[in-house]
Amino acid sequence: MRVRKSLFRLIPVILLGLAVAIGLSRWMDQHRQELPSASSQEEQLYLQGKTVKRLSLAFNGLAADWYWMRSLQYVGRKIVKYEDSQQGQRGLDDLAALDLRLLPSLLRIATTLDPKFLAPYEYGAMILPTFNRDEAIALVQSGIQQNPDDWRLRQHLGYIYWQANDYAKASETYNSGAKLPGAPRWMAEMSARTAAEGGSRRAAREMYQHLYDESDDDQVKDLLRRRLMQVESFEDRDRIRFVIGQYVKQFGRCPATWREISAVVQKLGVRVDPATATPIDPSGSPYELVKNGCDVDLQIGSLVPYK
Amino acid sequence: MSSEILHDTTPSHESPAKVARSGRNSAIYLIGAIARNTFREAVRDRVLYNLLLFALLLIGGAIFLGELSGGQEAKIIVDLGLSATLLFGVFIAIFVGVGLVYKEIEKRTLYAILSKPVSRGQFLFGKYVGLCLTLLVNVLVMGTGVSLALAYVAKGWHPLIVAIWPATFLIYFELALITGVALLFSSFSSPALSALLTFLVFIIGHLSADLKAFASSLGGVNARWFFNALYYLLPNLSHYSFITAAAHGDLPTATTFLLAVAYAFVYIAVLLSAATLIFNQRNFK
Repeated sequence: MRVRKSLFRLIPVILLGLAVAIGLSRWMDQHRQELPSASSQEEQLYLQGKTVKRLSLAFNGLAADWYWMRSLQYVGRKIVKYEDSQQGQRGLDDLAALDLRLLPSLLRIATTLDPKFLAPYEYGAMILPTFNRDEAIALVQSGIQQNPDDWRLRQHLGYIYWQANDYAKASETYNSGAKLPGAPRWMAEMSARTAAEGGSRRAAREMYQHLYDESDDDQVKDLLRRRLMQVESFEDRDRIRFVIGQYVKQFGRCPATWREISAVVQKLGVRVDPATATPIDPSGSPYELVKNGCDVDLQIGSLVPYK
Repeated sequence: MSSEILHDTTPSHESPAKVARSGRNSAIYLIGAIARNTFREAVRDRVLYNLLLFALLLIGGAIFLGELSGGQEAKIIVDLGLSATLLFGVFIAIFVGVGLVYKEIEKRTLYAILSKPVSRGQFLFGKYVGLCLTLLVNVLVMGTGVSLALAYVAKGWHPLIVAIWPATFLIYFELALITGVALLFSSFSSPALSALLTFLVFIIGHLSADLKAFASSLGGVNARWFFNALYYLLPNLSHYSFITAAAHGDLPTATTFLLAVAYAFVYIAVLLSAATLIFNQRNFK
């Protein structure tokens, strides 16, 4: 009897309590304090690398992996969002427009947690220079400090200097990497080439090709594949411009259609679509005759980087 | 549950009573009997079921993470696999470890055991060895799971398949040490409090380098002395942290490995002695 009595007393208390809790929760949701727009715009990093390392106990490798994957997801999400808003193709060469302000911190934390984890250094070397070269250099230099015997990090640092047109430093960095155990012979060759030829296409092609061969990361490989296509496309366009120049000399006007010059262009080694007689770029998109047929350009939508 | 062997009269169960009758009541035999029964008890408690879950999670995770890791599948499998081995192991060590003695007291089976020619120290040590045996099986199966997942993503041989094993054994010794801590706390405290205290020791044990750094940064001599004492008294579990290094194929040197094992043995001996000392003082009337 007493049990039943207490049951009848407690059930209303529980139900009433739940109702009040739900009501309160709804009220708090409606009257939630607005946070400043800067902090609500996107996720923030609350923890520094050293703090995360302490908190991760024996699981710092796993935490580094998590931050690494978070970096990849962060960039991927930004690209998808940008593409959705632009309705156009956009490769990793256009990252400056993506506002990747968290990426340096994410990569920093990943490498602080696991200083021997080379993938974040490589990723940083490829992507950070598009919007923060100093951070890219600092990240790779910290990697070199932690892994002084790894020649690949010097390859990445040399690449950053080369991109910045600092050929002397690039050559010096390649040279120091070439002396490390296990470094391939081409590191010394790249040192000599960057010193002698600086930003030549041959140097660029070799640079991108070696980086491509060494990388395991699909995103980085995709970026480098596009860069290799870009070098090839520059050469294609030079050949086409040469043919257009010859045509103008001969006929006193620019060609009106590709058919007028496609045979000569093909002879010079540019791929031509046999059905339309249009030269095609390394990504498979047709080139476009511009300026009333007096110049050639990439078609909008081509996967070859424009800049 | 070890009382079961003491009451059991079937030939397959080597009870101390039977041992006494047959004249084989050596300490090692008694400890072995208690250890075997503790292991059986753990198996019956379905502790080892977590292994199947672990293996499935690892293989599933390996396939899934391969898509997300940017070519770092092997590293992530090792980090994930060995971290899970440590974490699952710590949970088993804590939650089974703190209940080892308490359950015997609560079910009153302890009285039956201690009425036989079994000392309290032998009882504790047997329980400890039994749980360590359970953990060894766990760690071996989990290590094999990690190796198989590596072979799966590499579609054959991968150097990390072998390189993970020194780190895996160091995890085992860390778990053995944590089990000792759990047993010590459970010898005088409730299971909930013992579990909490053991988990705190696990955390502090991995922060001991910070404890030392903190001590050296302090101005006061007494404070520095206090934190230095804490640093040396509490188990330094960073000696067993080779998961991250293993993911890069780095192996501990033989000296590092052997010193870590020696440290574990010494510390476990201290913990079990302290547990026995406290347990001997307890009045179960």
